[in-house]
Amino acid sequence: MRRAIDDAAAIARARGGDLDAYAVLVARYTVRAHRAAFLLGAGEESDDVVQEAFVKAFRHLSRFRAGEPFAPWLLRIVANETRNVSRSRRRRAALALRIPSAEPSSVAPGGPVDEALAAERRAWLVAAVNGLPDRERQVVVCRYFLDLSVAETAQVLAWPLGSVKSRTARALNRLRGLLVPGEQDRVTND
Amino acid sequence: MTDRAGWQDAVESELRAVGRELAVPPASDLTATVRRRLADEAAGRRPTPGPGGGVFRRRLGWRAAVVVVAAMLALLIATPQGRAVIVHVFRFAGVELRQGPGPANSPTRAALPGERQTSLEQARHRVSFPILVPAALGRPGDVVVSDGGRVVSLIYRRTPHGLIRIDEFAGHLDQAYFEKFVQLSDVTRVEVNGTKGLWIKGPHDLVYITRNGTPAVASARLTTGNTLIWATRQVALRLEGNLGKAAALAVARSAR
Repeated sequence: MRRAIDDAAAIARARGGDLDAYAVLVARYTVRAHRAAFLLGAGEESDDVVQEAFVKAFRHLSRFRAGEPFAPWLLRIVANETRNVSRSRRRRAALALRIPSAEPSSVAPGGPVDEALAAERRAWLVAAVNGLPDRERQVVVCRYFLDLSVAETAQVLAWPLGSVKSRTARALNRLRGLLVPGEQDRVTND
Repeated sequence: MTDRAGWQDAVESELRAVGRELAVPPASDLTATVRRRLADEAAGRRPTPGPGGGVFRRRLGWRAAVVVVAAMLALLIATPQGRAVIVHVFRFAGVELRQGPGPANSPTRAALPGERQTSLEQARHRVSFPILVPAALGRPGDVVVSDGGRVVSLIYRRTPHGLIRIDEFAGHLDQAYFEKFVQLSDVTRVEVNGTKGLWIKGPHDLVYITRNGTPAVASARLTTGNTLIWATRQVALRLEGNLGKAAALAVARSAR
């Protein structure tokens, strides 16, 4: 019978051509890869991007260094595929991220006024992220929406560590300018 | 001059909160498609674009063919309808269901990584998702935060049904939190407050999956009673205890 199979074992077996083992990895990482593709701008092509990424990842498994986490390695391929589709298309406006209208039942307790204000603030923040320059937006997506570390972000976006740090700082500064009243001048100066 | 780290933390935590709420369309299940493409490729049924394709095909050809046959047999055995490769990997709200026995149970008391007993109020500060408490059960006897705030567990020791445990986690996000080894015939779909849930009858092997996708050996255990899994937009919950389906659903519906 099938026992618990961890990533390392699945990868080792997939390298040997075991498609069952690879299917475990595909099932395990599809949602995460799809979320990354969508948030990085693949839009309605996210499923295609993820499918392509999994096929390419399998072909390149021999280059995967054993013992490293699989997710950032896979997400780098996903990010690359996403770039390919968004380069061949120029419909950035249609890809703006958004928050679905709040469901009252799932909002944390704290009073309707607080909820409304918090919701408004979040919607504002999303709009601000949508308005960031491309690279700063990418770094925000990786660091905060995909919960990747600085090192993982560098790997996924194929940037040097320093660029991840400086672009993150610039993005945060810009967002702060948009969020904190009286700091707007920072944005125009930036 | 304001504290630089202070405002950065504030913006960062707001961004994280926003990230949890972003609308992301559901991902299609690609397991079968990817598998078919790779099997075709390896068997040389189609010219493969992409680097190294040809070499890859020659090297793996016969082995992959054997794998394909074996996989088809496995499929036929596993699913009379021959419908899906996903049958042995079924994902719901951060919980992965598999058929068959799980890993060896922990020889000592099974525990999640980094368990820390705390109060409900403190727990609300330590985890990044809203903690839901079922009004039907009232305040939990014990609250345990695990794995650096990735999971919170509410423990009720004295209920009319005996011990009840509720684990909560941000299950709508990417990877798995728990892996369960079940007979699919023991699993039924249910509805909790208008959203889908799963009811698992009887004990089964359970193991916690860490952030790296590795099962935490020390967490492997056999569950008690029955289990209900359901989710709201921000949090996934698994309720475990010796209570029937109707009682479990009543508890779940009262969670807020």
